[in-house]
Amino acid sequence: MRRARTGDALAFGLLVQRYQRAAYSVAYSVTGRHEDAQDAAQESFLVALERLEECRSPERFAGWLMTIVRNRSRNLVRREVLRETDPVPLAASSGTPSPEQETERNELRESLGDALAALPEVQREIVLLHDLEGWKHREIADRIGIPSGTVRSHLHFARKALREALGAASGEKANRSET
Amino acid sequence: MSQEWPASGRENDGLGRDMELAEILTAIDPASRDPNYWLRFRSWVMAAAAPELGRRRLMRELTVGDLLASWARGVVPAAMAAAVIAALVLSRPSVAPTPTAVGVEELLIAGMEEEPIPATLSAGEGPSFVAFATETF
Repeated sequence: MRRARTGDALAFGLLVQRYQRAAYSVAYSVTGRHEDAQDAAQESFLVALERLEECRSPERFAGWLMTIVRNRSRNLVRREVLRETDPVPLAASSGTPSPEQETERNELRESLGDALAALPEVQREIVLLHDLEGWKHREIADRIGIPSGTVRSHLHFARKALREALGAASGEKANRSET
Repeated sequence: MSQEWPASGRENDGLGRDMELAEILTAIDPASRDPNYWLRFRSWVMAAAAPELGRRRLMRELTVGDLLASWARGVVPAAMAAAVIAALVLSRPSVAPTPTAVGVEELLIAGMEEEPIPATLSAGEGPSFVAFATETF
């Protein structure tokens, strides 16, 4: 972080590489939309670069960055800001899936989106950071600013709700295919 | 990937990372549709950050001498201009009027018709009362 302050592009690139997925997950947990999450995460890195002097301690960079991401995402949702950044188009995957696989994946994505949307924002953020990004309870607690026990509690309820929602979606699909 | 989840129905809440759920959650990871997504994400951020990074490099490379030089570039001409103006003002001929001497005592008694009483009374010097006479000596 200190090197990034002096304009070292390599150092800043490493910070982006290290936290881009977590930033996206936090943004997604707030916005619930890929495009908005992408915009909020990208813009947050630019804001963080401009304000690097405000982050006094490099150890707190991740939590500080996630606060910026959360605030930008909330503003994006609240104000319904028109997208001003150049989008990063989602190119076709190199291993082209079959139409059936693609359909199944889209259905899963839709069910997952609905299930996540039903969770409180803090639970979405925690389950994505922990189970998708692999952050530890203590890391999440430090970076969100809540006790570790609360993180575990949120994680427990988030998983339970996701299981129920996805299980129900799975059952509905099975019923449809039988009829 | 199957949507039949949770297949085992297990409650994995030792609260370690739930790999089964992690696999499901990868569906919202943009890289699941585009393997180069994160590479391009970083490229976009780096391109947008280039001006700010350049500004920061420039600030770091500025030495104290550069700062003084940039400061002097503005201040020295201004100081020279001020000196020229001051010299012009000081070199103009003086037009101030010459003062005339006036006696203070003359001014104090100017317009008075009678001479003032020269003596004054002080405590313990006379009787305990004072009488005033109307005659002028």
